[in-house]
Amino acid sequence: MNFQPILQRTHAYLCADCGKCTGSCPLARVDPAYSPRRIVERVIHGDAATVVTDPQLWDCMTCGLCSTRCPSSVDFQRFIIEMRAVAYRTSERGVYAHDGILQEIMRLQTMNVHQNRTGWIGDELRTSDDDEYLYFVGCLPYYDLIFADLGVQAIDIARNAVRLLNRAGIAPMVSNEERCCGADLLLAGDVDSFRKLAELNVHMIEASGAKKVVFTCAECYNAFKNDYPTYVGPLPFETAHLTELLAEELEAGGLAFEPLSARVTYHDPCRMGRFLKVYEPPRAVLAAVPGLELSEMEDNRERAICCGSTGWINCGPSAKAIQKEKMRQARETGASVMLTTCPKCQIHLSCASRDLDAGQKIEVMDLTSWIGQALG
Amino acid sequence: MARTEPRVVVLTCNWNALQSLDQAGKQRFALPPGVRPLKVTCMGQVGSSAILKAFEKGADGVMLVACAPEECHYEFGSRRAAEMFKEVRQLTALLGIHGDRLQFTQVGTGEGANLVGRLQDFVDRLASLAEEPIHRQQPSAIGEGAAD
Repeated sequence: MNFQPILQRTHAYLCADCGKCTGSCPLARVDPAYSPRRIVERVIHGDAATVVTDPQLWDCMTCGLCSTRCPSSVDFQRFIIEMRAVAYRTSERGVYAHDGILQEIMRLQTMNVHQNRTGWIGDELRTSDDDEYLYFVGCLPYYDLIFADLGVQAIDIARNAVRLLNRAGIAPMVSNEERCCGADLLLAGDVDSFRKLAELNVHMIEASGAKKVVFTCAECYNAFKNDYPTYVGPLPFETAHLTELLAEELEAGGLAFEPLSARVTYHDPCRMGRFLKVYEPPRAVLAAVPGLELSEMEDNRERAICCGSTGWINCGPSAKAIQKEKMRQARETGASVMLTTCPKCQIHLSCASRDLDAGQKIEVMDLTSWIGQALG
Repeated sequence: MARTEPRVVVLTCNWNALQSLDQAGKQRFALPPGVRPLKVTCMGQVGSSAILKAFEKGADGVMLVACAPEECHYEFGSRRAAEMFKEVRQLTALLGIHGDRLQFTQVGTGEGANLVGRLQDFVDRLASLAEEPIHRQQPSAIGEGAAD
């Protein structure tokens, strides 16, 4: 196996061996045996075969913090994803969390399934069969079932997204033929299934006639914006996160919120922040709520700490330690709730909360669900 | 391509279910040809992902056979399986897999004939469903843009 193309594509060849990646890696901080620098160096020095079979290959959360600090601009996330794809083809696997149910649901969606995934749309919500906008719901209907015990109420995100869009004068399309974006399969090394899902989604959206696709999930948004063009070519439609669209509407005066008296903090999901550089729109939406106070965490925006787990693989004690630190920072803001724009961050942090004492944790909610309260 | 015999994965626990299936064999009852029995130690250890995996790999139906709740070898296993089954029914409904393609049943010991009867009913019901749970082929317009 020739690893040179991976080293070249991800600029890993330029690694200066400085160790800034390992110094900034949230995982290395809690697991001293883990070192991004060493993983890159092993591949450069011809030891790639042992990296492919190393369980550590599946530990990286691809949070991207190392890449923001790398003086040689090594794209470590892409490097890890491409190495995992090689490993996957040789039957290596990460440790699937939740008994692998999420990977199973994703793989079934690569087939010709006809889902019933829009049952949450009640009479109070306006959707359309033919509109410029399509709301990409993501895996929320599945999360709503699988993570009911965490109290995350994932489908509330979708309901409130449509409510907010309606209030902005948009009745979006929502499709039963939507598939999982596939990002988590890409992270698990299953490139073929990821590509299939990407093709099915792009085809579905193209056929619907939508010009703009709106997301509430940072992972879906990043998959469409960063990964789909790489794996299936340029997209024939525009994409936006709901908060970007709402921020525009608020500025244009097309939307207003009722007062809500609360102090909140905002967690930048890696995908929204470091990957897509969408830092301000969620904050602009929160700033538009009268009476609301946004209190920033010690590490925010491009320095934000990851939620501890991605791709539904290799969740363990290290993830919990990272999440505990995140909770500490959130609590220190004095906020009553930590808001985020990624349902998976919400799930992971809510799960971590279960193991923490009352004095160590904070409620975690999706920004979309929370802001829905300000609609009156 | 039409298939006449539905492919059915039958998960049995190691106790009442396997014993009943074993007894059916000794009594020379024939199982429908598409049935693939698979023994697990206790139905309570089976997760939703195993059921979905069966459909992914081409099963037309999945039947879970556990002990009666009060006879479960591990006390809680059969109850746990019933809870899991409720969840997997909701997941398959979302995925568009017909509810008749899944069955959960609990048996006592020595219920060989009874179990084979239930299995046959399940297979007959599957045969009456028009389509495969998940077509293996992709819609025609899809897949043309796939690189490498």
